[in-house]
Amino acid sequence: MRRSVVVAMIAAPLALLYASLFVGRFTVAPADVARILWSNVYPITHDWPASVETIVMQIRLPRAVLAMFVGAGLAASGSAYQGMFRNPLVSPDILGVTAASAFGAAVALLLSRNALELQAVAFAFGLGGVFCTYLLARVYRTTPILMLVLSGVVVAAFFSALLSGAKYVADPESKLPAITYWLLGSLNGASTRSLAMALPPIIAGSTGLMFLRWQLNVLAMGDEEARSLGVRTEVLKAGVIVCTTLITAACVSVCGIVGWVGLVIPHLGRMLVGPDHRALLPMSLCIGAAYLLLIDDVARTATVGEIPLGILTALIGAPFFAYLLRKTRGTWQ
Amino acid sequence: MNRRKALLAVAHLWGIGLLAAWTRAPAADPGTRQLTDAAGRIVTLPTRVTRVADAWHANNGVVLMLGAADKIVATTAQAQNQPWFRRLYPRIEQVPAAFNAAGEADMEALIGVRPDVILMAYDGTMPRWSGAVSAYHLPIVMMPNRSLAELKTTVRMTGEVLGDSESRIAAEYLRYFDDNIRRVTLVTSKLGPLERPKVLHTASAGVLTVDGRQSVIDDWIAIAGGINAADVVGVGRPVTMEQVAAWNPDVIIVGTAPNQQNRQSILDDPRWRQIKAVKDGRVFVNPSGVYLWDRHSAEAALQVLWAAKTLHPAEFADLDVGQETRKFYETYFHHALSDDELNSILQATPP
Repeated sequence: MRRSVVVAMIAAPLALLYASLFVGRFTVAPADVARILWSNVYPITHDWPASVETIVMQIRLPRAVLAMFVGAGLAASGSAYQGMFRNPLVSPDILGVTAASAFGAAVALLLSRNALELQAVAFAFGLGGVFCTYLLARVYRTTPILMLVLSGVVVAAFFSALLSGAKYVADPESKLPAITYWLLGSLNGASTRSLAMALPPIIAGSTGLMFLRWQLNVLAMGDEEARSLGVRTEVLKAGVIVCTTLITAACVSVCGIVGWVGLVIPHLGRMLVGPDHRALLPMSLCIGAAYLLLIDDVARTATVGEIPLGILTALIGAPFFAYLLRKTRGTWQ
Repeated sequence: MNRRKALLAVAHLWGIGLLAAWTRAPAADPGTRQLTDAAGRIVTLPTRVTRVADAWHANNGVVLMLGAADKIVATTAQAQNQPWFRRLYPRIEQVPAAFNAAGEADMEALIGVRPDVILMAYDGTMPRWSGAVSAYHLPIVMMPNRSLAELKTTVRMTGEVLGDSESRIAAEYLRYFDDNIRRVTLVTSKLGPLERPKVLHTASAGVLTVDGRQSVIDDWIAIAGGINAADVVGVGRPVTMEQVAAWNPDVIIVGTAPNQQNRQSILDDPRWRQIKAVKDGRVFVNPSGVYLWDRHSAEAALQVLWAAKTLHPAEFADLDVGQETRKFYETYFHHALSDDELNSILQATPP
């Protein structure tokens, strides 16, 4: 990759992150935003109201940071899985993590747990769901791709049924809408505490994927070829699954189901840098971060009520992707 | 062979015709009466209604208040799950819950209990199962549910459906309700715009949703001399934390069980700390009894008093909500509340 590309792809999400702090439903003078941010690095006199500081530091900043990490994490997981499964239609929820997390969240909502407890339960269910898939897919100490996919389908179907059951028994005046809105996805739960819970697994998983990215190229050739090249495919697959599951479970548990990002951002990345995972994975991370930041800025500012993220990611993303698809005719650079 | 088939078909049709003739009740039957419901339909009811299927959870509490709970033969799981409903009327747990959360009916259970009438909230469409039910000549009465005025209409209609004694109680209740509204508005109508606090009524925890305009909640906030801070239309709308900060409500009323716990999570969250209501210590839980006071409950008559006292404690210093609550439960639910019980209702904790 050319150095200018590298600089641009790292600078873009960071610039967007900074810009995101200036937009919102609450009117804050841009100068105040800048000074509040600066005051956290360098002590200057606080001549702005405490409420404004709360908006910037406790509401906007955690939310924007979360959007960035969730977008990056989902996009990286998607590209790792698309390589490993050798299938462009794969998204991070292929092994049932989303369905399991969603059921966990619904249970927490039914039991009226608070947001942090909900996040913990959803995360645990997500990990548990993928663990079930992995056990189901084990055949003679190997996990063939087909077995993984089918086991994922089984586990996802099972948890979806449980989720429907949870919705069926939910109180229609309060619990049912809460479950429904949660499933549509939202970053409104972002706070410093939820970040402290969600970021470590996302960072750990993404770092792991970055280390494994050249081996993903070998894995993308198929198990047998990879093995003949001396790659321990089972260990590698398990590693990729652990990393992506950590990321996806953390993302889903903190913001509900945000579709499309993990499916399509990798394709966008491939159009820009080709299918080599050494370049594709970091590219997906950066595009994913920028994309979700941008989408969330719309979600939280466009109307008085919040627009669910799951609606916007596809509503804005689909036409944009269609445009790119026509322009590149589906080929890589 | 063909002739045999044709004969069979004719016999079949004749049988259906007979059945239809047998089940169709003549319109001017002296044993029936007619009533126009919220959907504008003219519904024919038996003169004496003794068996009611109530598909609207909130309305079950109204039937209980009108003294006709013994007539309930089918209810909803949500009505059965209201702790105070069960406390005051334990039989509700034995009544079949023929309606689920989504408003769908278990047809066999419903027809099995042979209701004289089915009561339901009208949201603009008839339930999917209304066609199947009409085949059994079970009348459905749709009742309006979008405002406090419509809640009053619903109480009147419910009384009318149930019978004379229930109608009398309904009329008495509506007088009491109107008296309370008058008592409150006498004071609150004189308030200037600056004296009306901005009130945020939260609808659920976990996911932040609030109750907006065109709702029962909006109505009682206005009567009690407040302004609904939530500038959205409808109940249970999701909003961002920043939007709440932009509204900066003077008062927050937590309207979802477990209210106390949900109130605590607001107080514990640093993002809420600079909201005026939190800073001023004006975060309250909404009382909850036979049904949630803030919604389509019989206790909406008390809600206007409670809200007025909560928003304007000085102006309503002489109003004793506890005393009014005791009187109300004594009169309409025939239950003398102990101090603990009164507290459980006002603090929205299970009895």
